[in-house]
Amino acid sequence: MGAPVKGRLLDLVLVLAGLVMIAPLVWLIVTALSEPINAFQLPPQWIPRPPTLQNFQQVPDLIPFAQMAWNSVQIAVITTAGALLTSALAAYAFNRLRFPGRDQIFSVLLAALVVPVQLTVVPIFIMMRWLHLVDTTVAIWLPALVNVFGIFFLRQYISSIPRELDEAAIMDGAGHFWILFRVILPLARPGLTALGIFVFEASWNNFFWPYIFLSSPEKMTLPVGLVSLQGAVGGGPAVVLFAAITLVVLPILVLFLIFQRSFIASIATTGLRA
Amino acid sequence: MPGYLFISPAVLLFLIFVALPLLAAFGLSLFHWDLLSTPEFAGLDNFKQLVQDSATIRAVFNTFVFALASVVTHVGIGMLLALGVHRTMTRGTKYFVRTAFFFPFLVSWAAVALLWKYVLDPTFGIAAYYLQSSTNWLASPTWALPTLIVVDWWHTIGYTFIILLAGLQTVPAQLHEAARVDGANAWWRFWSVTLPVMSPTIFFATVITFIGAFQIFDPMVIMTQGGPDGATRSIVQYTYEKGFQSFEVGYAAALSLVLFVVIMVVTGLQFRLSRRWVHQ
Repeated sequence: MGAPVKGRLLDLVLVLAGLVMIAPLVWLIVTALSEPINAFQLPPQWIPRPPTLQNFQQVPDLIPFAQMAWNSVQIAVITTAGALLTSALAAYAFNRLRFPGRDQIFSVLLAALVVPVQLTVVPIFIMMRWLHLVDTTVAIWLPALVNVFGIFFLRQYISSIPRELDEAAIMDGAGHFWILFRVILPLARPGLTALGIFVFEASWNNFFWPYIFLSSPEKMTLPVGLVSLQGAVGGGPAVVLFAAITLVVLPILVLFLIFQRSFIASIATTGLRA
Repeated sequence: MPGYLFISPAVLLFLIFVALPLLAAFGLSLFHWDLLSTPEFAGLDNFKQLVQDSATIRAVFNTFVFALASVVTHVGIGMLLALGVHRTMTRGTKYFVRTAFFFPFLVSWAAVALLWKYVLDPTFGIAAYYLQSSTNWLASPTWALPTLIVVDWWHTIGYTFIILLAGLQTVPAQLHEAARVDGANAWWRFWSVTLPVMSPTIFFATVITFIGAFQIFDPMVIMTQGGPDGATRSIVQYTYEKGFQSFEVGYAAALSLVLFVVIMVVTGLQFRLSRRWVHQ
C-alpha cells in the first residue's frame, strides 16, 4: 500500500535532482539572453526580462567565431570519416581475411589501447614542428585518422554478421572491396553510426590536443577559442562570454534532442561491446 | 594479399602516430632538451629529479585523490540513479531525468569549465547564492580539488549512468520473478540477482572512469591553472607545463611515462581483483 506513494516520492526526488543538474545550463542561456545590466542579479533570474540578442552580436568582435566553428566542423568531419574508413578496412581484414601475422598485428594494435595520448603528444609535437604543421588543422586530424578502439569495435561488430552472406557474394565473383562496401557495411550501419557519433563527439569537444597545437585565433577550434575568449573578456562584459558558450552548447542540445536515441545507443553500445 | 592492403592505412598511421612516438617518449626521457639547442644525454637524471621534485609528488597525489573520488562517486551515485530510473514511471518523467543527467556529458569541457567558474563565483554565482556561502571554493587550498571533483562529476556522470542503465536492462526479468517467488525482498534481490548480473558492466565502468580520471587536464587548466599553490595540479597538467611552457622536454617525457605506468599498474590490478567479484 505504501509502495505507490514511495515510488512517487522517489520520482519527485529524481525530478528535483534533474532540475538541479540542468540549473547551470538554464542560468547560462538566460544570462546570455539578458541585457548586461540585468545579468548576474541576485537572487538569480530564471527568465530573461526583456530577452535580447545583443550579447550574441558582440561575440564576433572578440573572437573569429564563425572561422572557429568552421575549423571545428572541418576537423570533426575529416576525423570521423577518415577514422571510420581506416577502421572499417582494418576490421574487415582482421575478421574476414587470412594472412600471415594477422593475429599478432591485431594484438599489438590492441595493446596500444592503454597508451595515453599524453605520452605520445610530446614526440608528435616535435614531429609536427619538423613538418611545419604546428598551428594548422592538419596537426589535429592527421593523428586521429587511426582509431584503435574503432578497429576493435568494428571487428567485434562485423564478426556478428553471418559469413554465408560474403560467401554468396564470392560465388558471384565479387571482390573484397565490393563485399565490404556493399554487403558488410550496410549491415553494420548501427555499429558505424554508434562509432561515428562517438568519434565525432570526441573530436568536437577535444580540448587537450588543439590547446597544445593551435595558437592563432583563426586556426583554433571552438573549445580552445572559448578559453581564449576568457582572457579577451578580462574585466569586460562576461555576458558576451556567456553568449559564446551558449552558441557552442545550443547546437549540441538541439542535435541531442532530435537524435537522443542514437546518442544514448552510441554510448551504451560502444561501452558494452568493448 | 588483400589483407595487408586493407590494414595498411591503419597500420601505417599507427606506426607513425602511436608506435614511433611511444618509442620516442622512452628515448626523450633520457635526454635534457629545450627543443632549440642540441639534446644532451642525461641517463636517468630526469627520473632521479622526478622522485625528488615535490611538485611531481603533489601532482601524483592529487591525481590519485581525484581518480579515487571520481570512481567512487561516479559508480556509486551512477548506480543509484540507474536503479532509480529503471522503474515504472511516466514516460515524461523518465525522459526528463535521463536527459537532465546525460546531457552535460555532451558539452565540451571548455564550455563546462568556463560556465562553472561563474557558477562558483563567490559574489554573483548561483552556487554561492543558493548555498548561502561566500567561500571562494576555487581559490581555497582545501576546497579547490573537491570542487573540481564535483564539477567533473556533473560533467561526466551521464556516461557512467547510461552505461549502468544499459547494463541494468540486460538483467533478465525472470530471475527477479523467481527470486520474488522465493520470498526475497528488494534488497536481497538486488544483492543476489542484479549485482552479479551487472558485475561486468560495473567493472567496465570502474576501469574506464579510472583511466579517464588519471588523464584529467581540462578543468585544472581552465579553472585553477593547478592552483592555489599546486593544490589541483594533475600529472598531465604538470607534463604540459614542463613540456610546453618551460620546455623541459625530457622531463615531460619522463612524467608522461609515470602516468603510463600508473595507468597500467592500476588497470592490471583491477583486472586481477576482478576475478574475485566479476561474473563471466
